[in-house]
Amino acid sequence: MTEDDRVRKGLTAAVAVLGGGAADRLCAACVEFLAFDGAALSLASGGAFYSVGLAGTGIGPVEELQFTLGEGPCLDSVSSSAPVLVADLHDTHRWPAFAGAVAGLGVRAVFALPVTVAGFPVGVLTLCRHRPGRLTGATATGVFLAAELAVLPLLDVMGTDMRAAVNDVGSPAWDELGSMMRSEVYQATGVLIAQLGVPPGEAMVRLRAHAFASGMTLSDVAYQILEHRLYLDADDHPDRPGSER
Amino acid sequence: MMTEPREQDIIESFIRFADRLIDDVDVLDLTTELAADCARLLDVGAVGLLLADPGGVLHLLAATSEEARKLEAFQLQRDEGPCLDCYHTGEPVSVADLRTQSQRWPRFTAVAAAQGFASVHAIPMRLRQERLGALGLFGTTPGTLNDGDVRLAQGLAHVASIAIVQAANVPQDGDVLTALQTAVASRSVVDMAKGVIAETQSVDTQEAFNRLRNYAHQNHQHLADVARDVVSGQTLSAAIR
Repeated sequence: MTEDDRVRKGLTAAVAVLGGGAADRLCAACVEFLAFDGAALSLASGGAFYSVGLAGTGIGPVEELQFTLGEGPCLDSVSSSAPVLVADLHDTHRWPAFAGAVAGLGVRAVFALPVTVAGFPVGVLTLCRHRPGRLTGATATGVFLAAELAVLPLLDVMGTDMRAAVNDVGSPAWDELGSMMRSEVYQATGVLIAQLGVPPGEAMVRLRAHAFASGMTLSDVAYQILEHRLYLDADDHPDRPGSER
Repeated sequence: MMTEPREQDIIESFIRFADRLIDDVDVLDLTTELAADCARLLDVGAVGLLLADPGGVLHLLAATSEEARKLEAFQLQRDEGPCLDCYHTGEPVSVADLRTQSQRWPRFTAVAAAQGFASVHAIPMRLRQERLGALGLFGTTPGTLNDGDVRLAQGLAHVASIAIVQAANVPQDGDVLTALQTAVASRSVVDMAKGVIAETQSVDTQEAFNRLRNYAHQNHQHLADVARDVVSGQTLSAAIR
């Protein structure tokens, strides 16, 4: 059996049966068969990330920090719908806050792959190593296969969450999903992308932060932005409400 | 053979859709055109296509207006209304006078009345036994559609159903869910792109959508692909006029 075959077998076996920890199993297979130190799978929905699978060491904070700082390979990978492969974090100045924060963790290489449905990102697979180095040979092939396979547990999770929310009309989960998936909210997110020069994920986070801080609904904030009654400042801290004009 | 102008219009509409289904289908573009044709041929005020996601929640896919405030009556169908009932039962729902239904759908009838809608007809969308969503026709005057009009609306709803499934090359019933998910996701990235263009070019979201659509047509690209490039900054929104 060639190395390619061994990797393919190991990865596909992890998601052969969905539900009950398939996302964790896929991450564990990445660690085992592709020789990563850590692997994580997250669902990306409306600018927010939800961790669904995790295996190995060091990866937890690597993912978490990006979502907290609002910058890093995962966020770029989802917003550009393209892989972001960082062979050595010491060689890049792209994410100063993120690089500074992970420096103490001993993580040198981070590979973020968008998990897509027809090109539209629904999540991100993140792999990390303590030693620097590019992806080569069977590992490179395996990484992209893992990202393809990752769509299965992700869609499974999305379906379950939605079904749970559907069965409980009026629950916070139902309202939360409904308030996010509206035309005016996405349109206003687009306005913020243009005004602030930030990627979609961050624009959505800013809109939600303002709604939370001001006690308004996402929809109300969205209309205020669309109708130029509210401007969020570029350097404004997300916790602070923007200025109303 | 002589035909009435409306009959000719109907024939041409179906021929146009049949022609488009042969090729690589852009679901958002096709369903937007279908909504417009539906409104014109059936003489109703507004038309919207609502698709169910894998969890059975209705989302707006395409409508005759792209201005967010005018979409409220459609977006509300997620929670209540004739399109939601139509989706659940798989049968058409026809309401000649919405004023008589305020107890059945309190929020929907209030929003519909505020937007000037007096009657509603919801037509089911399905593929084989699988329910996909509903086509909502909102009239500005009370009244019902005649049988011929209902059949025409159902025919157009079938075209939309085929387009959605065709676009994803669905070989089995189970994969219909993926097709629906894709269609729903592409709508949201197009909405974001409308926001970017509206802001950078100081136009309203309807005009922003028109420009996005023209650009996609001229460059033989799908709306969702152009939208993704605009949102990610790979296509400068200034290029889209």
